[in-house]
Amino acid sequence: MLAPLTSAQSSQTPVITFAPEQCCLSINQFHLAYAGKPALRDLTLDVPRHRVTAFIGPSGCGKSTLLRAINRLHDLNESVSHRGYIALEGQDIHAPQMNVTELRRRVGMVFQTPNPFPMSIYENVAFGLRLQRRLPKRKRDDIIEWALTSAALWDEVKDRLHRSAWQLSGGQQQRLVIARTLAVQPDVLLLDEPASALDPISTLKIEELIRNLKSQLTLVLVTHNMQQAARVSDYTAFLQNGELVEFGLTDQVFTNPRLQRTENYITGRMT
Amino acid sequence: MKPLSEQSKRRVNWLNDGLWPWLCAACVALSLLMLAALLTLLATRGLGHFWPATLEEVTLTSGDIVIGQPVRETPLPLNAGMERLYFTGNRDINGANWRWIAVDDISAQTTPNDLIRLERTPWGDFIGRLVAVESDGQRLTGQAAWDYITTALAQPASQQGSSDLLLITADGHALRQPLSNVSHFQAPNAMSWGQKVTAWGQNVWRFLSEGPRAANTGGGVWPAIFGTVLMVILMSVIVTPFGVLAAIYLNEIAHQNRLTHLVRIGVRNLAGVPSIVYGVFGLGVFVYGIGGSIDNWFFSDELPSPTFGTGGLLWASLTLALLTLPVVIVATEEGLARIPDAQREGAVALGATRLEMLTRVVLPMATPAMLTGVILAVARAAGEVAPLMLVGVAKLAPQMPLDGEFPYLHLERKFMHLGYHLFDTAFHGEDVQAAIPLVYATALLLVLIVLVLNLTAIFLRHYLRRQRGNEC
Amino acid sequence: MTSPRLPRVYLPLRQLQDRIATGLITAGGIGVLLAILAIGVFLAWETLPLLALGDTFALSKLSPLAWGTLKAAIAAMLFATPIALGAAIYSALFMSARLRSRLKPALELMEAVPGVVVGFIAGLVLAPWVERHLASTLLLIVWLPFSAILAGALWHLAAARLRRRLPHSWAGLWLIPWLVCMVAVALWLAPWLEHHLLGGDLRRLLDQQYGMDYATRNALIVGIAMGFAVIPSIYALAEDALADIPPTLMEGAQALGASRWQALWKVALPTAGPGIFSAVMIGAGRAVGETMIVLMASGNTALFSASPFEGLRSLSAAIAIELPEASPGGLTYHLLILAALSLFLFTFLVNTLAEVVRQRLRRRYHRLGGRP
Repeated sequence: MLAPLTSAQSSQTPVITFAPEQCCLSINQFHLAYAGKPALRDLTLDVPRHRVTAFIGPSGCGKSTLLRAINRLHDLNESVSHRGYIALEGQDIHAPQMNVTELRRRVGMVFQTPNPFPMSIYENVAFGLRLQRRLPKRKRDDIIEWALTSAALWDEVKDRLHRSAWQLSGGQQQRLVIARTLAVQPDVLLLDEPASALDPISTLKIEELIRNLKSQLTLVLVTHNMQQAARVSDYTAFLQNGELVEFGLTDQVFTNPRLQRTENYITGRMT
Repeated sequence: MKPLSEQSKRRVNWLNDGLWPWLCAACVALSLLMLAALLTLLATRGLGHFWPATLEEVTLTSGDIVIGQPVRETPLPLNAGMERLYFTGNRDINGANWRWIAVDDISAQTTPNDLIRLERTPWGDFIGRLVAVESDGQRLTGQAAWDYITTALAQPASQQGSSDLLLITADGHALRQPLSNVSHFQAPNAMSWGQKVTAWGQNVWRFLSEGPRAANTGGGVWPAIFGTVLMVILMSVIVTPFGVLAAIYLNEIAHQNRLTHLVRIGVRNLAGVPSIVYGVFGLGVFVYGIGGSIDNWFFSDELPSPTFGTGGLLWASLTLALLTLPVVIVATEEGLARIPDAQREGAVALGATRLEMLTRVVLPMATPAMLTGVILAVARAAGEVAPLMLVGVAKLAPQMPLDGEFPYLHLERKFMHLGYHLFDTAFHGEDVQAAIPLVYATALLLVLIVLVLNLTAIFLRHYLRRQRGNEC
Repeated sequence: MTSPRLPRVYLPLRQLQDRIATGLITAGGIGVLLAILAIGVFLAWETLPLLALGDTFALSKLSPLAWGTLKAAIAAMLFATPIALGAAIYSALFMSARLRSRLKPALELMEAVPGVVVGFIAGLVLAPWVERHLASTLLLIVWLPFSAILAGALWHLAAARLRRRLPHSWAGLWLIPWLVCMVAVALWLAPWLEHHLLGGDLRRLLDQQYGMDYATRNALIVGIAMGFAVIPSIYALAEDALADIPPTLMEGAQALGASRWQALWKVALPTAGPGIFSAVMIGAGRAVGETMIVLMASGNTALFSASPFEGLRSLSAAIAIELPEASPGGLTYHLLILAALSLFLFTFLVNTLAEVVRQRLRRRYHRLGGRP
């Protein structure tokens, strides 16, 4: 396990920092508001590389907002304002020289409900690839096979790659979306409650997939389900009202939270 | 006490619950009935006209003999029996095509097989008997004459040679008719069932493929079909890109605020603005404004006779494009709004630019909606007449807007339109009575075109909904 | 498994394309919207010279036309509104779902029938027929509602087996043959009634007793023909408003013991009232602007007369006939453009009003827990 470099803790804002070479995403004093209403308040947080970090917290605490901010999906909405700093591998994602299209390629995102495009399975995975430079078909096929294998879907779909993606089951669709994201080889994969719309068996498959993927890239998982956070994540951040309440090793946060608020939430005494 | 209140309650319920729903149901039935009646009327009259009608030879009590096709009967005033209208043709001899005959005056009525009906270029139809054919000094009678005419009419007019038909009318008036002026020859009473069906098919085809003759009382509507289709195609070429562009702008690019909301309501309302207003706009801005300026700059040597400064194909297409823009915009916008944001975010999150997101994910999904909009626009444009009366439709266009002469597509020419052709023939024709069957046929054709287009749109929308339903 | 190597991204071109396309779409979109809105500006601009002329006498030329427009619209609405609303109530609340899914496209097709065809049928077929059978026509107007009620009464008396075979939810369909029969009965009865009650000829009676002229093409014909054209649009909007009423509302009322009709009268109509109002408004907007039907079915005589048996001339028909001949810049030209402007403003205002009302209604349904 990657040990935190420092563990400076005040009563209000616990901060764990990692050595720069271990830190993939660094969020510093990030503040975001929807039409003037603050959704994230001065958040400071480091996400370690090649680990699974879970964001937990009650509904509306800002965890999904934070995820979308990392992908700069808020650019699509004009009523959002933000200040502060999010860095991907040391580069500010809002810097003028940062290209938002390239950023989004590097930061993959998987949404709550599976959103495969109305195309064949093959075309769904090829979508991101086709946006880049032209690839020879053989090379493209290799990448697609690799992405589907990584997403533990290859064996289920290899015989029907050219069928519509909408014919897959919900769990398969979600893995297809993950494969689609993996195909463009992101550095970070953001998962916004990826299993909340799925049945228990599909959920287990997704969780196993998340654990397997961390050897390749950094994962950030937003979830409502605390057992899920405990099962798959290495680090857990607890957010409430747009503020970071506690951040630490998952084992430590779940078994021995430093703050009463965290304990109340985890043990279900407060929603 | 109880039974009484039960009973009275039931009676009240019957009045309330039993009566009104039946009136409402009758409203539905009446609407459907009116629609069905309209369509049946058009179909029977429109298609029935092409059936080779039986010719009757009628002997009157006065001794007169009349040959004609019975059209309809109406009661005479003062309960004096019925009166029958015959189409007798022979306008050159009788001075009229029609004759009313009181049914009581008829003493004998037969349908001899040797009665014939000719379609001629001047004077319209001839109805009577064939005596002989004179061809290059040769005189043919009987079966030989029939065969000669059949083979001669099958050849192009230039090879027919000069031959005359010797004809005789019901009252013994003899007539010499050059064969070159005859376009169609028929002996309907002698025809078998199969021959009649064939003749019917040929007549329908002639209606669709020929130009109008004899002041719209004969011939077909091909130039009108051609003009309508050409105008509608030009219009769709203009309206589709612009309508889609405006819809994409409104739904995907513009900031969603109060102003966009207002613009959206405005566009929606423009779909309800009367078409004649668009016609006025087209006349004032396109024809007089832009067309007038073009004439001043490029065609000044032709002035004062206008080239573009008068109604024409281009201005009509533009006006109708403007008229149907709201239809396309609204339909496309609905299609775009139906696409879940998750699809857009999914594409963007994979590193697609907005253009790539639009062209690869959003627009393909919205295609059926766009197509629906365009088809509805085409259906509306095909049936719209009022604005065309201001911006370029013609009673009878001497030249087709598309021909072999450079630049092939003549945007400034006036054109014929099915709807206007219908209006003009029915209301400004010389012999409205004779033109009415053709007007029915034209109306049927127009309704068929519009209904087929609408059915396609309905089907597409249905397909679209079903597809969407599966996904969600 | 190691990941295959992906070639580097080539971004600037894609981004340039995106910028250009966005710019083009924006320019095109705004251009199109401005072009559409230019209609109002043009019409207003072209009527300005009239103000400069200050000729109030010229305006009086338009007043019989305005009256004609109004008369035609009123006649059409009198015919269309009851039928369209009745049909909407029946199909939203009583009709079987399967029939309803077929009926809506059928009425959409009715809306699509071109005005020029309706006008032709009205002007050349219906008008002469009505002229010859005026008494029958008037009798039919009374007779058809009565025959519907008669059908209802017979149905209630009929054996249960028959009632199951002909359910009320399908009445919209099986009433058609019934109505055809009743029309035939009325046509058979009418000459007899005319002969015995009205002394032979209704038209002569009207002329002699009340001094009413009868024109072949008159407001009655226009009303029927344009009503036919307007029914589908009123129906579609009113039906939407009624069908979107949250089902809990109607069920709640019926659970309290209200009959279906009471639930409709006390709950559904007040709730959907604004929607029905906007449907009627949009129908009126269409009736005011319709050109070809009025042109072909009205006789085009500019008269000030309230009689349903006399002709009329509407603003739209006057524009269609006179504008091509009016020299641009002349008084008639500007007057006709003023007519177009008033049509434009009227329909635009009516439609906007209807749209605002409908949006309010949608919000209300949303609050009441209906479909969004």
